[in-house]
Amino acid sequence: MIEATRGRIRSTLLGYGLLAPSLFGVVCFLLLPMLVVVWLSLHRWDLLGPIRYVGLDNWRSVLTDPSFGNSQLVTLLFIAIVVPAQVVLGLAAATMLARGLPGTGLFRALYVIPWICSPLAVAVLWRWILAPTDGAVSTVLGRRIEWLTDPGLALPVVSAVTVWTNVGYVALFFLAGILAIPPSIHAAARIDGATSWQRFWRITLPMLRPTFFFVSVTGVVSAAQVFDTVYALTGGGPAGRTDLVAHRIYAEAFGSAAIGRAAVMAMVLFIILVGVTVVQHLYFRRRISYELS
Amino acid sequence: MNSPSRAPLIYTGLVMAAVLTVAPFALGLLTSFTSAQQFATGTPLSLPSPPTMENYAALAGAGFGRALAVTALMTAIITIGQLTFSVLAAYAFARLEFPGRDALFWVYMATLMVPATVTVVPLYLMMAQLGLRNTFWALVLPFLFGSPYAIFLLREYFRSIPADLLNAARLDGANTLDVIVHVVIPASKPILATLTLITVVSQWNSFMWPLVITSGGRWRVLTVATAGLQSQYNAQWTLVMAATTVAIVPLVMLFVVFQRHLVRSIVVTGLK
Repeated sequence: MIEATRGRIRSTLLGYGLLAPSLFGVVCFLLLPMLVVVWLSLHRWDLLGPIRYVGLDNWRSVLTDPSFGNSQLVTLLFIAIVVPAQVVLGLAAATMLARGLPGTGLFRALYVIPWICSPLAVAVLWRWILAPTDGAVSTVLGRRIEWLTDPGLALPVVSAVTVWTNVGYVALFFLAGILAIPPSIHAAARIDGATSWQRFWRITLPMLRPTFFFVSVTGVVSAAQVFDTVYALTGGGPAGRTDLVAHRIYAEAFGSAAIGRAAVMAMVLFIILVGVTVVQHLYFRRRISYELS
Repeated sequence: MNSPSRAPLIYTGLVMAAVLTVAPFALGLLTSFTSAQQFATGTPLSLPSPPTMENYAALAGAGFGRALAVTALMTAIITIGQLTFSVLAAYAFARLEFPGRDALFWVYMATLMVPATVTVVPLYLMMAQLGLRNTFWALVLPFLFGSPYAIFLLREYFRSIPADLLNAARLDGANTLDVIVHVVIPASKPILATLTLITVVSQWNSFMWPLVITSGGRWRVLTVATAGLQSQYNAQWTLVMAATTVAIVPLVMLFVVFQRHLVRSIVVTGLK
């Protein structure tokens, strides 16, 4: 009896001893910041001077601020362009890769490279390629196009660079999904006389539903936080047309030195992202598996 | 399963996508070896003649050597710390019984929902209060003590290690640390390799946190240095392309070496 108790105490000490470093990290750098951000949203701080309590002033000013409204709208548009585009193109790339033709491995690896690279460096690279006078695209086309400063073009172009970065990554998931479909299903359909087009629509696409959902939800969550790309390509301009929420938080905090307002914006983003994640879990619980009997 | 007649069509598609993927990198790489004079006078897309290292020499003069060293050191320290502490935590969650274990695990999992964008502002305040702004500590501390996601993946893996293997080691008189080092880690090489690669990639590329917490040349990382160079010398594209090449090439080389493994790890972890 005493032996057992002693064993339990030892195992408890050991458990908490092993957990200590990561527990310190989780508490100090993940949980505490979430409390600090709430606290900060009720204060005014300019990065240098004293911190002053201002009640709900920041909340009032941010929620009625047209520039934050603009950022949310721009982010929504950005998500609406980026996520469907990278899902469709990723699926297209995966269908080509799934044929298993010789050399497929090389192509698959090539497509992932943009996603491995630093988004900041990739954005700087594209900034040169799209530069109006001495950029690669202008040289090839032989005419000057203001890709990044034209109010109508800037957001589609920033979205296109993001899609270019992510397509290969998205394709990997679709490829895994397609290869997981039992060949017998396709074989049976072929015997029944289904064309390859019919098999794609009636078998492949429905079987890929979980993959669709996964890449869409993770796509939304990551697109909602894009920062590096905008920072290097447009700096949020022209006239706020590419001022994504993550960039607005940064500009508010470290450009305008309005930390309290930035904290409010960060909390709004957090609440929206948690909402997306919760919806994801509810959905996955409902349709987790496919009966193949 | 394929009608062979369709192969040329598919290859055309695959090659076109590959060209679209690779061309920007190739153009940037060429430009980085082009002299500023040739770039200004010739058409920007002509081959460098002769190829020059002057842009890279200029980068070295602009403190890029130091930025490269800081980035490598930051990436190495965070990766080692994160893996070590994640392994310890995952072992506790997977293999030990103690009160509060499951509740704590759920707390860890809940923190997966905390996006980095949201913690940057409060972390900045915390580091400022501790007087750690613009120090190497500020770069590494927030990421050093393990990652809940790594702990989650490792815990799954550790649970699948046969109990007999661990018990045998313990009967031979090994303590917990021995068991982890000599039994658990060797048995978990694939997942550890995956996590190492993912951590190296994400830390090497990290930008927002280093951007806000450091200033000046002392602890500047490659991404921040590249961004700074671009805004400082906007028109000097040959120099800027050399900078992006320095930021990109080490990871592409890592990718080429571990390509097979990395492609699989992305699908396994599903996370950047």
